Amino acid sequence: MTLVNETTHIQVPKNPKKPGGRSLPSRGLEALLTNRVVLLAVLIVVVLVVMTILDSAGQLSGAYNADYLASSLISAVPLAMLGMAQLLVILSGKGGIDLSVGSIVSLTGILFGLAYGPGGWDFVPALILAVVAGGVFGAINGVLIAYIGFPPLIATLATYYAYRSLALVISNQKPVSSESIQNFYSAAQSVEIPVIGATIPLIPLGIFTFLIPTVIVVWVVLNKTTFGRRLYAIGTNDVAAEWSGINVRPNRMAVYAISGVIAGLVSVVTVAQFASARPDAGTSGNGMALPAITIAVLGGVAITGGIGRVSGIVLATLLIVWLNAGILLALPGNDGSQFQLLALGLVLVFASLLNGLTKRKYGGI
Amino acid sequence: MTLDERTKPAPQSGRPAGSSTATAKRILPLPVTGQEFVLIGVLIVLWILLGIFTPAFLTPNSIQPLLVSVAPIALIGVGMTFIIITAGIDVSVGGAIMLCAVIVAKTMVSVDIPLIGAVALAIVVGLVLGVVNGVLIAYGRVAAIIITFGTANIFQFLALRVFGSSTVNGIPSTLEVFGRGEAGRTLGVPNSFAIMIVIAAVAWWYLRHASGGRHLFAIGGNANAARLVGIKVQPRLLVAYALTGALVGLGACFILASGTATLDQSVGSGKELQVIAAVVIGGTSILGGRGSVIGTVLGAILVQTVTSGVTQLGWPSQLANLFVGIFIIIAVGTDLLRERARRKA
Repeated sequence: MTLVNETTHIQVPKNPKKPGGRSLPSRGLEALLTNRVVLLAVLIVVVLVVMTILDSAGQLSGAYNADYLASSLISAVPLAMLGMAQLLVILSGKGGIDLSVGSIVSLTGILFGLAYGPGGWDFVPALILAVVAGGVFGAINGVLIAYIGFPPLIATLATYYAYRSLALVISNQKPVSSESIQNFYSAAQSVEIPVIGATIPLIPLGIFTFLIPTVIVVWVVLNKTTFGRRLYAIGTNDVAAEWSGINVRPNRMAVYAISGVIAGLVSVVTVAQFASARPDAGTSGNGMALPAITIAVLGGVAITGGIGRVSGIVLATLLIVWLNAGILLALPGNDGSQFQLLALGLVLVFASLLNGLTKRKYGGI
Repeated sequence: MTLDERTKPAPQSGRPAGSSTATAKRILPLPVTGQEFVLIGVLIVLWILLGIFTPAFLTPNSIQPLLVSVAPIALIGVGMTFIIITAGIDVSVGGAIMLCAVIVAKTMVSVDIPLIGAVALAIVVGLVLGVVNGVLIAYGRVAAIIITFGTANIFQFLALRVFGSSTVNGIPSTLEVFGRGEAGRTLGVPNSFAIMIVIAAVAWWYLRHASGGRHLFAIGGNANAARLVGIKVQPRLLVAYALTGALVGLGACFILASGTATLDQSVGSGKELQVIAAVVIGGTSILGGRGSVIGTVLGAILVQTVTSGVTQLGWPSQLANLFVGIFIIIAVGTDLLRERARRKA
C-alpha cells in the first residue's frame, strides 16, 4: 500500500533541509500537521475554550468547569487503557488489530465477578484471575496470528464471537452481583488527593489505581525496553526484523497477550463502575473495541504498523472524553448521545484523511 | 463482450499454460474451488445431523425461514466479496442497513408508496452511502477499515435522527413479497432467497469472466502493479463500494420485510460482522486477490444453519456465536494450511 503513494508522488521530494529559512506560520503549520501530539493539544484547547464560551453564554445545561471535567474522566479509564492495547497491537504491524478486546472485557469481567462475588475470593486473587484469564484469551489470539498465520482481523473477529458467546452462556445472560461487588463500587468513586487535594477537583480513583500505572508501564515498555524497540522494528518491516535477528513470532504473540491482560484489568474497572459484572459490559452497543481503535487512530497510530506513541493515545482520549462531556451538556438526553456518535465518526474520518495528507505533503507522520 | 470465447471451460489441469494449442485459452480456476467443496460437505453433514437429532429441522417450516434469514446476509455478502477481493473492507454496512431501513420504514408509514418505489428508495439511499465510502477510500486514499469505522458512526447518527422516537410503528405490508409469509414465496422458495441467488449468479459470472471483475482481483493482488498495467484502480474501487451500498439497500428491504410491523433501533446492529464472517468462511482472502461469491453464499447459509440449529436443539441461543467463531477459525485455518501446502509444492 505504501508503494502506491511513493510512486505517484515521486516528483515531490519536499524535504525541508533548512527549517530556519522558512516563515514561522509555515513551520507552525508543519508542526501542527506532522506532530499529532501538537495537533491534539491544540484541539483540546479549542474544545475547552469553545465549551467555556458556551457555558458563560448560558447555552449549557450544567457548568463546564474543572469539577465536571475531572468527574468525566471516569469514562477515560477503559477508553485510554484499551486504546493502549490497540496501540501495541496495531504497532506490531501486518494489519494488527484486536476486535476481541470488548468480548475479553465481558468474559473476564464475568469470571472476576463470579470469583469475587459468589465465589467469595479475596480481591487480589480475583484480580489476578482476571488478569491471567485476559492474558490467556489474548494469547489464543496471538497463537492464531503469529504462529498459524491468521490475518489479525479474522482471528480476533472469530474470538470476538467466541468470547462474547462464552460470557453470555457462563453468566446465563444475567449480571453477576453480590454484596461484595456492590461495595466494590467505591473503587470507582472520586477521591481527594492527599496533601494537594483541597485545591484541585476530585478525581476518579480508577485514574490512579488503573489508568496511570498502565500508561507508565506501556510507556516504559515501548520506550525503555528492548522488547519495545523490537516491536517498532517488527511493525515497520517484519522481514527486515527477522533478518536482523529478531524472533518475530514470540514478540508478535506477546503483544496480543498483553492486549488481553489490559482488557482483563479494564474488566475489573468496569465491574466497579457498574457495581455488577455484566455479560455484555464490553460488547453492548458499539462495544469497546471500536472506540478504542478510534482513539488509537486519532492518536496518530499508523494502521500499517511501526508508528505510534503513548502520549498520542492519552491526548486523543482526553479530547474525545471532554468533547463528549461538552456535547452532553450542550444537548441533553438522547440528542447528546447521538451527536457523540457523529462527533466520533467525523473526528475519525478527518483524522485519517489528515494522516494521508501529511504523509503525502511531508512524507511521514 | 465476446462471451463464447471467455466462458469456455478452462483447459484441464496437467497441461502447461499456452502449450500446444494455437488459440491461447485463458487459465481460470475451477468453477467451484476446494474451499467450496469443503463447505458443501460440512453443510450436508450438518443438515443430516440436525435432521437426525431434531426431526423438525428438515421440514419446509424450518428451512423456509432459514433461507429468508440467509438472503440479506448473503446478498450484502456478495458486495462485501467484491470489496474484500480488492483488499478492502466495509464495516459500515450495519449502520447503512439501519439508515436505509429506517428511511424506507418512515416513508412507508407516512406516504402510500408502492413496492417498486420503496425498493428504489432503499437502493438509492444505499448507493449514496456506498459512494461516500468509495470516494473517501479510493480518492482520499485512506485505510478502508478506518474510514468505514468512521462512516459507520455517522450513518448510525443519521439513522437515529431519522428514527426520532425509539421505534417506527405500523409499517404497512408493502414489502411482504420479500417476507416470511405465504406472499413471500414462489413454489415454496422464498422470493428474497431467489433474488439473492440470481444476483449472486450474475456477480459470479462478472468476477470470473468480465474484465472489470478480473481487474478487482488484480487490484487486490497488487494495486501498484494493477495501475502499471493500465487498470483504472480508483474508479474500480468506487464501483465495488457503491455496489455494496446498493445491495445494502435491497438487503435492508429484505430485513424490513422479514420483521414485524415495528422497527426498533437494533436493526442492522452486528450485521457487518455477520456479513464479513460469511465472506471469510466462504474462502475469500481478507488480504485480497482471491475469493468467490459461491463461497460467500455457502458461508452465509452455514452461519444461519448453525444459528437456527442451536435454537432447535434447545441449546442456549447465545452458543451459536461460539460456533460461528469456531467455524471462522476452521474455515480460514484449513485455507491457510492448503495455501502453505500449495507454496511448498
